Amino acid sequence: MRKRNKKMKQAASVLLSAALALGLLAGCRSGNASGGQTSGNETNAGNAAGSGAESDSVIIAMDPNSEPEAGFDPAYGWGAGEHVHEPLIQSTLTVTDTDLTIGYDLATDHNVSEDGLTWTVTIRDDVSFTDGEPLTAEDVAFTYNTVKETSSVNDLTMLDYAEAQDDTTVIFHMTRPFSIWAYTMAIVGIIPEHAYDSATYGSNPIGSGRYILKQWDRRQQVILEANPDYYGEAPKMKQVTILFMEEDAAFLAAQAGQVDVAYTSATYSDQEVEGYSLAAYESVDNRGFNLPAVSAGTDEEGRTVGNDLTSDVLVRRAINIGVDRQEMIDNVLNGYGSPAYSVCDQLPWYNEASEVEYDPEGAAALLDQAGWTLGEDGVREKDGVKAELNLLYAVGDSVRQALTADFAAQMEELGISCTMEGVGWDTAYDRALSDPLLWGWGAHTPMELYNIYHTIEGTDSAEYSPYSNPTVDEYMDRALASSSLEESYELWKLAQWDGTTGVTQEGDIPWVWLVNIDHLYWVRDGLQVADQKIHPHGHGWSLVNNVDQWSWTERNDEL
Amino acid sequence: MRHFGNTQKMQPDVRKGRPDRKAENPYGKESNRRKSTLLFLAAAVLILAAVTAAGILLEGRATETDFTRTNLAPGPGHLFGTDWMGRDMLARTLAGLSLSIRIGVLTAAVSAVIALLAGTAAAVLGRKADAVISWCIDLVMGIPHILLVMLISIACGRGFTGVVAGVALSHWCSLARVIRGEVIQLRQAPYILVAEKLGVSKFQNVRRHMIPHLLPQFLTGLILLFPHAILHEASVTFLGFGLSSEQPAIGVILSESMQYLTTGRWWLALFPGLALVLTVILFALLGERIRLLLDPASVHE
Repeated sequence: MRKRNKKMKQAASVLLSAALALGLLAGCRSGNASGGQTSGNETNAGNAAGSGAESDSVIIAMDPNSEPEAGFDPAYGWGAGEHVHEPLIQSTLTVTDTDLTIGYDLATDHNVSEDGLTWTVTIRDDVSFTDGEPLTAEDVAFTYNTVKETSSVNDLTMLDYAEAQDDTTVIFHMTRPFSIWAYTMAIVGIIPEHAYDSATYGSNPIGSGRYILKQWDRRQQVILEANPDYYGEAPKMKQVTILFMEEDAAFLAAQAGQVDVAYTSATYSDQEVEGYSLAAYESVDNRGFNLPAVSAGTDEEGRTVGNDLTSDVLVRRAINIGVDRQEMIDNVLNGYGSPAYSVCDQLPWYNEASEVEYDPEGAAALLDQAGWTLGEDGVREKDGVKAELNLLYAVGDSVRQALTADFAAQMEELGISCTMEGVGWDTAYDRALSDPLLWGWGAHTPMELYNIYHTIEGTDSAEYSPYSNPTVDEYMDRALASSSLEESYELWKLAQWDGTTGVTQEGDIPWVWLVNIDHLYWVRDGLQVADQKIHPHGHGWSLVNNVDQWSWTERNDEL
Repeated sequence: MRHFGNTQKMQPDVRKGRPDRKAENPYGKESNRRKSTLLFLAAAVLILAAVTAAGILLEGRATETDFTRTNLAPGPGHLFGTDWMGRDMLARTLAGLSLSIRIGVLTAAVSAVIALLAGTAAAVLGRKADAVISWCIDLVMGIPHILLVMLISIACGRGFTGVVAGVALSHWCSLARVIRGEVIQLRQAPYILVAEKLGVSKFQNVRRHMIPHLLPQFLTGLILLFPHAILHEASVTFLGFGLSSEQPAIGVILSESMQYLTTGRWWLALFPGLALVLTVILFALLGERIRLLLDPASVHE
């Protein structure tokens, strides 16, 4: 009896564990599809590909972080912020051209007053919103006043208020001279005063741009349709579908032929996908370490500020020429990158004096000169103190981690002992005041130089890393106050290096820039992606800035 | 109950198994069981100690990056292959296991001590203390373990401290409940009652008469806490709320490997995962065998 009982128990347990295993498998399945979201995408993608086999639609896989949280509302950051791009659905007054100079979209002309405090912009009179209402200077003024009031992403503190003089003339009254206002105008999409409700506009945007938002399934996809009444050249791509996918899902989607363009990274660059080629676009999406330029101490908030090793300008210079950027690109980025020497490489305001040659001997000589002599264990010492750096990187970003590891290895060769630490962004900003952190920057505006290097008013340090140079500040202040863009470019360049001081190798070098990361995409054969302007930081919407000019030479997805 | 439930469920099965084995193995063989158990114990402890020591020694190699040998499949030079930064996966796996075992030992010890104190206090200090402690046990057990570990870990600033605090403060309750039950039973035992009548103080009574009795339960509980502690450390790290990504922890290795599975780099997940499972199984078997050895009901088999 007992034996039989046991057998029954055994049978039952086998059955139960089988059921459990099945349950686990089922769980894994839905887990793989990342909560069913990707499977939804797949069917959608399938449909879209099926219906759009004509030559005027395209499906693009983008990073889930690209999805605008607050919707397509310029007042809540659409187009602006850390990852600048053209708003597509709305028109802007100006645009940045492929060489990052300023061109016109809605605007036909602009003037600045002598004191730089009044900007007068005339706009086209033949533009209508997609609901049929004409776009007037009133709408432009309304847009800027609304954005200034609401946006935490787009910084418009330099604007006092905007007003419409007549139907086609808008006047901006500034609180301070701001010569690069045209770059700000390039990212503010114009919203209609008569149809703007901040609660619903984000998901039902009405604009006058090249595309109309047809459908938005949160966390899944965005479908854009060409605006039939667009005032400019009619978009060649009639329908643009954007799917939000994790990197591995995007790779699989390309392998399965479900998308036309899929973002990817150096991790996948040694792979091959049949029917696709790997496209690499240049960027100013740079990575670099801040090198705290003051000695260690504590500030009034109790944070540690400064670093005793990097406070010596000779050490900072040694680091800058002692790092082999090309090796880093080959090792970590599989060759898909370019050396970075500033935060704004190749942009109109870039000073070529930033460029340096890799020179390990020179670096060693600088360190010797600074008094850091090589100890027996290969680590440099000065007055009994070891040359040590604790390098920080954003946890979870494998490329930054690998760049940090490579940088650490190169520093070890110079005799600087390095440790690495992954930190979250909640603490990274404070930690970076005393330890070098690997940052990513790169934007289509010279304001970034100002944000990184300019001393904050009322303090004795720049925002992200302790550093201050009154001469550099003065150049940047003058650049903002200058009357023309060309003149301001020159001043921005002088801020970087004026022959005697600046933020480059011979100057203070408070940041060491390492690489610009190429933005990589799998592109289906036959799709002609129009010429890209140099991509800013952020691997998202900047690709589709000119999606209206893309075309197919042939479609080969009808398998 | 989640954790201790397992062992308790296992007990009847093992006991049921005994008569059969007795029938198969005639007399005389039983002493071998004790010997083989001891042998197994020694071997298991040796293996775990070796892994721990090897991991500590290899820590330098585990974090050493070499971009000339990235993404190598397992082969003679690198038995477990290398990852995308050229780190040797065998060294990383061993260092990760070692870290896990050390964290496991530390957290299990802390947990077990908390459990012993709480369990005895609840049973000895009277009704009110019992109510409070039982309520605490229910509270902690009512919250899903992994969630509690994550919360405590974040509150303590993640990293090593966070994980140790998280795991140590969430794993004591089932053992505490068992010990409390044991002590309540013990309190009515004649020898304890006699000792009380003879005027032995409460503290003395616990120390001299109860703790020795509780030792087998305590030791088994302690060792059976290891696998849970290790697994929870690995999972909370995997989810990104534990050890930082520059540390060679199994959870970090596994979560990194997820990115590379789609490109066919199976070795990044397989070997470290297997190693983790084997370690956990080893600990579980160890606990089970020790229980058999120490438990008066089975000690003479």
